[in-house]
Amino acid sequence: MTITRLIASSAVAAIVTAGTSFSVNAQEREVKLSGFGAMSGVVRSFGINSKAALEAAADEVNKAGGVKLGDGTKGKLVIEYFDDRCNAEEGISVARRMASSATLVGIGPTCSNVAEPLFGILQKKVGDAGDSGLQFPVFTDVAIKVGLAKISDWAFRNVPDEGAMYRALFQWIKKTQPDLKTVFGGVEEDFAHSRATWYAVMKEVAAKEGFEVKGEAKWLLADTNFTNQAREARRAAADIIAISAHPFTTCGMLKEMGRQGVKPKLVIGLTSSSSLETLQGCSAEAEAIIIPTSFAPVTPEAQAAAERAAKFNGSLDLHSGAAYENIAILKSVIESEGVMAKPDTVQADRAKIRNGLAKLTETKGLIGVSKRTPDREAVKPFLFVHAKSGKWEVLHTPTN
Amino acid sequence: MLIVDLVQSIVDGLLFGATYALIGIGFTLVFGVMHKINMAYAAASVGGAYAALRLITLIGGPAWASLLIAAAVGGLFGLLIYWLCFRFIPLSNPLATLMSTVGMFLLAEEIIVHTTDGMPQNYPVVVRGILDLGEFMIRGDLVFVFACALLAMVILLYLLYRTKLGMATRAVSQQPIAAQLVGIRLSHVNALTFVVTGMLGGFAGALIGSAVGLLSPLLVVPLTIKGLIVTVIGGLGSIPGAIIAGLLVGMAENVFQYFRGVTERDIYVMLLLFVFLVFRPGGIFSSTVKRD
Repeated sequence: MTITRLIASSAVAAIVTAGTSFSVNAQEREVKLSGFGAMSGVVRSFGINSKAALEAAADEVNKAGGVKLGDGTKGKLVIEYFDDRCNAEEGISVARRMASSATLVGIGPTCSNVAEPLFGILQKKVGDAGDSGLQFPVFTDVAIKVGLAKISDWAFRNVPDEGAMYRALFQWIKKTQPDLKTVFGGVEEDFAHSRATWYAVMKEVAAKEGFEVKGEAKWLLADTNFTNQAREARRAAADIIAISAHPFTTCGMLKEMGRQGVKPKLVIGLTSSSSLETLQGCSAEAEAIIIPTSFAPVTPEAQAAAERAAKFNGSLDLHSGAAYENIAILKSVIESEGVMAKPDTVQADRAKIRNGLAKLTETKGLIGVSKRTPDREAVKPFLFVHAKSGKWEVLHTPTN
Repeated sequence: MLIVDLVQSIVDGLLFGATYALIGIGFTLVFGVMHKINMAYAAASVGGAYAALRLITLIGGPAWASLLIAAAVGGLFGLLIYWLCFRFIPLSNPLATLMSTVGMFLLAEEIIVHTTDGMPQNYPVVVRGILDLGEFMIRGDLVFVFACALLAMVILLYLLYRTKLGMATRAVSQQPIAAQLVGIRLSHVNALTFVVTGMLGGFAGALIGSAVGLLSPLLVVPLTIKGLIVTVIGGLGSIPGAIIAGLLVGMAENVFQYFRGVTERDIYVMLLLFVFLVFRPGGIFSSTVKRD
């Protein structure tokens, strides 16, 4: 009798527990989103900041009640972050891992040399039954090399349009400092983004805006000796030196220019260098360098987001700011497309999110409204910052 | 203008090569004594410089003090590497210590990356000033590095050939079994060798940080590669060879870059290494002594 009672009460307890947990699950399902980028290696700071931004944004969404799913229930955003070490093979491996899990979207990667081959393994044309590529939406926050999203219908980016940014910058320089006529470049030859930005963006835009481009000095990502390059810059005697390189070599070149007494009237930097790294590496030498960027804490939303990211041990910049925005964009897409976030609807949910992202024509960002292009890129608002006394300060806000 | 630029490139390369020479000396000294390559040497050197920078930033003090702190920390790292990668690993297996030091190299690099988030750190200038000779310029800090490399060579040669420790080290290097038979403690001498090379490495790391003006994990791999090239070209185990090879590699880099551009530069430096391996495999100053 006692045993029968025990079994019966256990069964009742089990049913009650299961029922309770079912009702909790029914009310608040998990919506899994994965971030991925460099969390180790020399560009680790990108991953740390993106992860912090994603977690801060997701935390904000969850605190405000979560996301409304297709059946009216509430979903809680859950962020997982994977390390791809800024390495193409590892990035592809991470993408395959995400695609085989319940993750609905991948947000990343950090590096363009990862993004390019990774987009190549996604299905090129949506609905093409003959293409066995991954049907998994990737919404990039950091990798910025021009024109990558067109590789696949499943690739979306929320990165700034460097062409528009540098065009506006050179136009502004031409207008405000008409005595500046010549430009000399410095380019990190072995880094996809730096190289593309100099040759396809800065150099072309400067020439189109009427500046005389007096050539470029080249170096590699891990170079430490810039004597030849600084001498080339000195010999060019250009009014403007445009450095398309990441903080380590930007600082190396600026220091060597200082040693050799190369004093251009203006120095322009790469978008990615408008970060804490440059100031930490060479704030004195970088004084007055001008960089166009798509993030600065100039609006109440941006200031609040920067504070939230700081609580998650990250710093908001043009890259991590985009990661923060991506969560808000995905929340609205999930709600508008009726994503279910159930174990048996993963692939359907991914397709809904892809379609939802593809439909967008504009999105609300931290410093203003971004336009979305038919080839799944963003045209983000931007501003020009300059380094002043160890800080980035807004120099000019163009009417974008 | 071509001649002026070429001469300037050669001078810059020679002076910058002094940083490679300092790293090369550490590689070659360990090889000379133990006939093993310590792949973690450059990583530990950069680690020593990072630790010195952190301490100097924390407690304050003149920039030159960072050289001494880096040397002290480098010595500790050297001892640590010996204990972790050599002391308890069978030395008879040549691959064992190679792999253990490769592991330590990766670990040291990741520790640097994780403690600094990979961000470049501004390094204080130890020696300022440029000798301006019209068209030519000579950097004072690189001349200082060059002088330090020469001083390190003199001190190490004195240590090796004029002290009891040096005699013991040479005995262990040439006849380890006989050395043990006459009462020399092998592990003691090996550990001391690692401490001395570690101190030199930390000092070199700080000098390189000062010459570059920055510390970054990006320094670790190129310095390791350059250090190995210098060691092979200079002759495994030869300290003067490491210095000459360091200067040669630095100069070759700059000259190849001047003529062929930065993207081809490293190809020619590697070709230079192959030329030495084929035509002079023992290096510039090949060591004649052999270990049992």
